[in-house]
Amino acid sequence: MESIMYLLHGFSEVLTPFNLLIVVMGSLLGTLVGVLPGLGPTSAIAILLPLTTILEPAQGIMMMAGIYYGSMYGGSTTAILMNIPGEASSVPTTLDGYPLAKMGRAGAALGVAAIGSFIAGIIGLIGLVLFAPILADQALKFGPPEYFTLMLIALFILFNLTGFSLVKSIIMGLFGFLISLVGIGISSGMPRFDFGVDAINGGFEMISVIIGLFAITEVLKGLEEKRVSINHQRIKNAYPNKEDMKKSFSPILRGSLLGFFLGILPGVSATITSFLSYDLERKVSKSPEKFGNGAIEGVAGPESANNATSSGGFIPLLALGIPASPPLAILLAALMIYGLTPGPVLFEQNSQLVWTVIASMFIGNIILLILNLPLIGLWAKLTEVPFGILGPVILMVSVIGAYTVRNSMFDVVVAITFGIFGYLFHKFQWPLIPFVLCLVLGPKMESSFIQSLEISSGNVLIFFQRPISLTLLLLAGFLMIISIMLMKRTKKRIIQETGEQMEFS
Amino acid sequence: MRKVLSSVFSALLLLMVILTGCSNDTKETASVEDKKVNSYPARQIELVVPFAAGGGVDLAARAVGEYLSKEWGQPVVVTNKPGGGGIIGAQYALKEAKADGYTVLVNNNSTSTMYEAGNSNPTLTAKDNKFVSRIAEGTLAYAVKSDSQFNSFKELSDWVKKNPEKLTWASVGPAGFSAFGVAEWLDSIGVDYKKTSMVSSEGSSDSAAKVAGGHVVLAVHTVGELYSLAESGKIKILAVQSAKRSPLFPEVPTVEEEGFKGLTVKWWTGLSFAKGTPDEIIKKWDSTIAKMEKDEQFVKELEKVKLQPSYLNAEEFTKAVNKEKDSFTKLAEKTGIRK
Repeated sequence: MESIMYLLHGFSEVLTPFNLLIVVMGSLLGTLVGVLPGLGPTSAIAILLPLTTILEPAQGIMMMAGIYYGSMYGGSTTAILMNIPGEASSVPTTLDGYPLAKMGRAGAALGVAAIGSFIAGIIGLIGLVLFAPILADQALKFGPPEYFTLMLIALFILFNLTGFSLVKSIIMGLFGFLISLVGIGISSGMPRFDFGVDAINGGFEMISVIIGLFAITEVLKGLEEKRVSINHQRIKNAYPNKEDMKKSFSPILRGSLLGFFLGILPGVSATITSFLSYDLERKVSKSPEKFGNGAIEGVAGPESANNATSSGGFIPLLALGIPASPPLAILLAALMIYGLTPGPVLFEQNSQLVWTVIASMFIGNIILLILNLPLIGLWAKLTEVPFGILGPVILMVSVIGAYTVRNSMFDVVVAITFGIFGYLFHKFQWPLIPFVLCLVLGPKMESSFIQSLEISSGNVLIFFQRPISLTLLLLAGFLMIISIMLMKRTKKRIIQETGEQMEFS
Repeated sequence: MRKVLSSVFSALLLLMVILTGCSNDTKETASVEDKKVNSYPARQIELVVPFAAGGGVDLAARAVGEYLSKEWGQPVVVTNKPGGGGIIGAQYALKEAKADGYTVLVNNNSTSTMYEAGNSNPTLTAKDNKFVSRIAEGTLAYAVKSDSQFNSFKELSDWVKKNPEKLTWASVGPAGFSAFGVAEWLDSIGVDYKKTSMVSSEGSSDSAAKVAGGHVVLAVHTVGELYSLAESGKIKILAVQSAKRSPLFPEVPTVEEEGFKGLTVKWWTGLSFAKGTPDEIIKKWDSTIAKMEKDEQFVKELEKVKLQPSYLNAEEFTKAVNKEKDSFTKLAEKTGIRK
């Protein structure tokens, strides 16, 4: 009940002209970057994060959140109009979205995707309002050993879910871990791996590394590919008709619930839920032969599922400080830059700020719906931006962004270096996601591990002696088996549908 | 359509230029004109905060920046350069930036006295600073879980005397603020510091959460940092380390009332310049800060972030820092904090 009061107060905070402008800007920027081919939510947040740091914390986070779900909306546009999934989670959308566009019904597909995303977003947010405070209350019981085992689960599942071999994932994860260890050690206070260079003393700034890996890499890839803009399908009318809506209603609800509840689990990404939702719709459909030839249900389900998953992911992020996917990992970094530590204390110390941000997400979703339906034509036009314009702009914003986080030139060098690394990883098919997650979770894992041993005076058995920690470990084993099964399935499906390996995000 | 496209893009580019234009410091080359001290300040001043946004030092710095911008009619901006326990930012302000009075370090115990006491060969020492004035201080407080067996600071101390190896306490690093607070207290009750266990923490909210969840026995931070969790009844504050009771918790006794004398560790923040900065500039700052500390609006701002104004002029501030450094060094050598 208390949380409802806070939420209502949050609404009154958001509904000031300036705050509304911030939410609109965030949603617009997010949609824009989401629509541009080759840039997904992760790169969108990484590039635009530094631009928000001139704002007050509440506004900055509102804008970041807007960019995040805005880019989730934007991703469906290229999938439907050009058959280009911006990231793996949009692959199912292409299966029926593109055929619909070829039939001249692109507007209907885009409309259903927007409405589905909206309903799923709202359902996910209601879940967030109900569950996050409860989890935050319980989260105090989580001490260092519990956090360590929880992160171990999340990483294990993720490693298994990258769409590449487990060995490659683990190698990349360890590499990310190594990078995260550079700098002043948490328990010793001594610099590590600095090789006597003062600049490295402060460690690598996570945001610069991510900007390098995602945005600068994208520019290098574009240079190589000599990208030509692909003509997209024409859009006749931008609204689904009554018939479409009637068909889509149940898939949207099913996709939302499935996406939300699976999205709470650490390590289950939007890619998995959107594929599951697509296959579920095909199973329950009375005419499964239509799927793949322009069934509107095949757009409604997955689009809802991946948006619900992204809202669901906010629960472990805010209550425990554990990100379930790379874009959320960057949001976590953003919160830290603003001096907020996500976790059990966040709701106590900054409750008003948290609820204001949650309220802004409701408003942002409404704004996105309004933006997306009438402006679909404009967004579609954006897909034609030639790379000659796009590349330099991305590069410029990336360099500025890398500099602004800590105001240091060293970070710019780091970003460019990792841009080159990212390009090589892509070229030789090494997965990025484990690297990024270990980079983000590395310091947290290390500190939880060290703290656990400090509490137990060096006894490793502490992880098995504490009930919650032991339960988590057993759960890890169980989830591992399930995720291997899910993984095999999703991998097979991606190869079936696109004919290539693709990294999940 | 091309028109629409190009206008969208030019708007976007314009936005970026504007955003980045107002987000950063400009490192102009100081011309001869700028060297004239009597025209100081002639351009933007940078307050370097060597910690992340949202912490105590940062919030105090923002209040200072706001006041000075109004007072001098020049932008005074806060730049956060976190990392390395505050040493990265401090090095930048004291050693890398020009000593022309346009880059100021917002200093704190952890980047000065505690760092120097905790390290046998520190890269920065008090001698690298020209201390200007102390701005504010925060009272140290001892907190335990709300349903813990200890109902007073005395009870806790008695229990620690009997079971030193059972005491776990959270601190940001071995030479952090909490470590010196705990070391001084243990020293005064004759307990061997090395027998107790420090649990590393990422900051005050992390420490408070660990105490509230029953994972660590004790958290030692400033009253302001512990306020929200104590207010919601998840932790209880046993004592505050100040001459008078804290206005935030009038019912909590001071350590003195509990019968502990000579506990001095407290949190402070102040300003310092690089070594070669002209004395006239320092005088100008000091007199302005003295005026600022009496400004009602500024005191209110500090209250909001739960800090007390505690002005010391350049001379007294330097003395206080050196005295603190000497006593901390002794403490660090005795307890093995010094590495």
